[in-house]
Amino acid sequence: MAFYLAKRACGLAIVLMVMSFIVFLLQSVIPSDPARAIAGPYAPSSTIETVRQELGLNDPIAVQYGQFLMRVSAGDLGKSVRTRQPVSNDLLRYLPATLELISVATILAMGLAFGLTLLLLGGARSQALRHVFIALGSTPIILSAVLLAYVFWFRLAWLPGSGRLQFRDFVGTTGFYVIDGLLAGRPEVSVDALAHLALPATAVALPFAVAVVRSLAGSLHDVMRQPYIQTARGKGLSEAAVVLRHGLRNAASAPLAMTGLQMRLLFGNLLVVESVFGWPGLGLYMTQSFATADLPAILGVSIVFGTIYVLVSIAVELAQSLTDPRIEL
Amino acid sequence: MDDPVLTVSRLRVVLARNGERHRVLDEISFAVAPGEILAVVGESGAGKSTLGAAIQGLLPSDAAPEVSGSIRLTGLEIVGSPPHLLRSARRLLVRAVPQDPMGALNPTMTIRRQLHESADCDEALILESLRRAGLSDERRIAGAHPHRLSGGERQRVLIAMAMMARPKLLIADEPTTALDVTTQAQLLQIVRDLAREEQTAIIYITHDLNVAAAVADRVMVLFGGRMAEIGSLRQVARNPRHPYSANLFAARYDLDTDRSRPLPTHRAAFRHDETSDRGCGYFLRCQIARSDCSSIRPRERRVQAHSGLVACHRSDEMPLAILPVAAPRDAWAGEEVTAGPVALELMDVHKRFLADRERVWERRRLIPALRGVNLSIALGQSVAVVGESGSGKSTLLKIAAGLVAADSGRVSCLDPRPQVIFQDPVSALTPWLPIGEQIGERLRPHVTSAAERRRRVGETLQSVGLDPSLMHALPSELSVGQCQRAIVARAVVVPPKLLLCDEPISAMDVPLAAATLNLLNDLRRRLGLAMLFVTHDLAAARIIADRIIVLNKGEVVEEFEANMLQSPSRGAVTRALIEACPSLDAMIAG
Repeated sequence: MAFYLAKRACGLAIVLMVMSFIVFLLQSVIPSDPARAIAGPYAPSSTIETVRQELGLNDPIAVQYGQFLMRVSAGDLGKSVRTRQPVSNDLLRYLPATLELISVATILAMGLAFGLTLLLLGGARSQALRHVFIALGSTPIILSAVLLAYVFWFRLAWLPGSGRLQFRDFVGTTGFYVIDGLLAGRPEVSVDALAHLALPATAVALPFAVAVVRSLAGSLHDVMRQPYIQTARGKGLSEAAVVLRHGLRNAASAPLAMTGLQMRLLFGNLLVVESVFGWPGLGLYMTQSFATADLPAILGVSIVFGTIYVLVSIAVELAQSLTDPRIEL
Repeated sequence: MDDPVLTVSRLRVVLARNGERHRVLDEISFAVAPGEILAVVGESGAGKSTLGAAIQGLLPSDAAPEVSGSIRLTGLEIVGSPPHLLRSARRLLVRAVPQDPMGALNPTMTIRRQLHESADCDEALILESLRRAGLSDERRIAGAHPHRLSGGERQRVLIAMAMMARPKLLIADEPTTALDVTTQAQLLQIVRDLAREEQTAIIYITHDLNVAAAVADRVMVLFGGRMAEIGSLRQVARNPRHPYSANLFAARYDLDTDRSRPLPTHRAAFRHDETSDRGCGYFLRCQIARSDCSSIRPRERRVQAHSGLVACHRSDEMPLAILPVAAPRDAWAGEEVTAGPVALELMDVHKRFLADRERVWERRRLIPALRGVNLSIALGQSVAVVGESGSGKSTLLKIAAGLVAADSGRVSCLDPRPQVIFQDPVSALTPWLPIGEQIGERLRPHVTSAAERRRRVGETLQSVGLDPSLMHALPSELSVGQCQRAIVARAVVVPPKLLLCDEPISAMDVPLAAATLNLLNDLRRRLGLAMLFVTHDLAAARIIADRIIVLNKGEVVEEFEANMLQSPSRGAVTRALIEACPSLDAMIAG
């Protein structure tokens, strides 16, 4: 176990190194000059040259990368070109919003997946349900996000569709407004935060849940034909006990792996969903950074996403080894 | 006689397979009394396992089963009962021990929890049932997950699981097929004790008549979903009244079978045996069929010869019709094997495997699988390796095949690519390629012309006893026996110098096993192959091999000529193996 964790920690380090290298290479390849971006479009060329010297842009690539790594490992991700703030400050500001969205979306997806699975097991094997599944599973997230916003916000006006909160004056301690509202003794803030979360979280959760349910249904279909299921039925157990006790746990491995995979897709989806719903999180921050070729910011967000992804895949592997004793870490 | 535990009358089961509906069981009637063991024998596809599932009310719902007739279990009607009644019948009255101990236990649950579910019980009863099933370290077993246990241990756990519910009826569906003879002998003893001490009625499904003889009081012979004959096992074995049972009993082999000539076999199964409503199901294969056999279905009736029932028009004439059991059975030509160059030689071969960790922080121990094995096979010679499971037989074969590397020692093989024949013929063929293509693949490097390849494949198919037109058939269209022949054809289409067989017959019924043994024996004599035959079946080893090597705990304990198997000078390990072999003849004589 300790060995496993050490191994995965090394893996995380390697992933981050590779990612930083790619972003660094991008920085030196794309036709955008950070020095000009910092000095301003109308700065004289001498000023730009000074800034270039300051930034070390005239050094050889290897030296630049070494210095870059030194800075990054000291926690200095550089300054965002767009916001003129240290990237680490920006990350700390936007991270809670994204984490809140991811958490709520994951909980929602699990709930949806569980409900849909029960529905499938309950014998609702109608063709209609299958079509709904295929439709949901194949809708591009940009379309479903826009449709959700259009129907529930513009048309029906049931739910807010932009931003995180209507209370402009509220400042939370943790940055998770649902929790902050409760901590501050203002439950109406929590309710409002949840209402704002509803649409973006649903947009993120839908493809997630559909993918997990499809993989669970497929693997359960196979598991229920295994001889040990027949043994369990032979003991005279009720069908519910057979499915819940003997079926689900053996079928869990594939949907768990799918959860890990979906996490990765989820980061891409976050860019879309946060932009559509004006959600002030890392996704929106990254989209805006793309537009201005704000490489320090892009690198910062990539590191955060990369770390979350590696942590999630560790969690998935741990969960798999917990559900199936044959898997050794 | 006590009231029967189980009364089946006119049971019919229709199942859908590949979109067609088949009558898997047709008008089966029988009864089992408390404490009685009824063996159900017949070839694969005779409906044996379906019978077991029908009695439990567990026919696969995918197959849209249609059941008619009646199954009464201590007065409770199973056919047409609502699910909750079936559930309580399974909980209290009938339990099953399945065929495949590897797959029949839930891999993610400890044995203790799986047993706990089986009956309302406490820890003491769980441990005691495990002990009674012959597991001496019951605490370790109870806490373990199934993948930590051997096949024999798992099968004992399954028997404990069934016994602790104290059912009135136990259905054992080939429970010992996957086990070695020693473990099998112990399990058969447990089954017998269960019937005697608890008065449990037992239906013992098997394809092995020697096993049936070791355990059962009565026997029911099934053919094509119909009952051919039922009666006291000893009487039926001595005096079978149905031509199919006569063939079945004649085809068996044991430690005293004449090994100088091919085994008696009877006509191979057809791919789709017609089971029309009219006529006898065995009509097409029967040697003594008359014209009315094809039009009038024989009813079960009493016969003079024994106290049972037979469904055959000509059962009274059976002794007159001397069964033409096989084609001419001349002795094998060229019995004296001229020792050619050495095809496979192992010298002082060692192999160790990493053991599973008991706890995460422990270091993994090395478990020796082979400890200094010496073995040499000359071209044209056949050597059988026997031993209990875990003795290192399979490791030896894998090393010879080059699938596993030895830790130390010298392995030299004349053939860079020896061919292997595995236990399960169906899964050893690629399901979506016609068998001709799978056989022809091995010719590709040698023969470039497609027409020439086809010709060679056709010839090879013929030489293993298959119709050359079957080269366009997919594996799923073939019977198990035909699949095994196709695999043999694949192995010999480019004649290898060394043929390795890993338990190729252990899951087959007797006629099929006999036919496979004949085929292998014939091919190796004709093509002059060296053959290594790994098995736990001493009788088969004696028939197929010139020399027998006995492995025990990774060491060769004895090596002798096959003829000398029963010589009094055999060592203790070999004698124990011999004694564990059940024998029908001994039962008939005794």
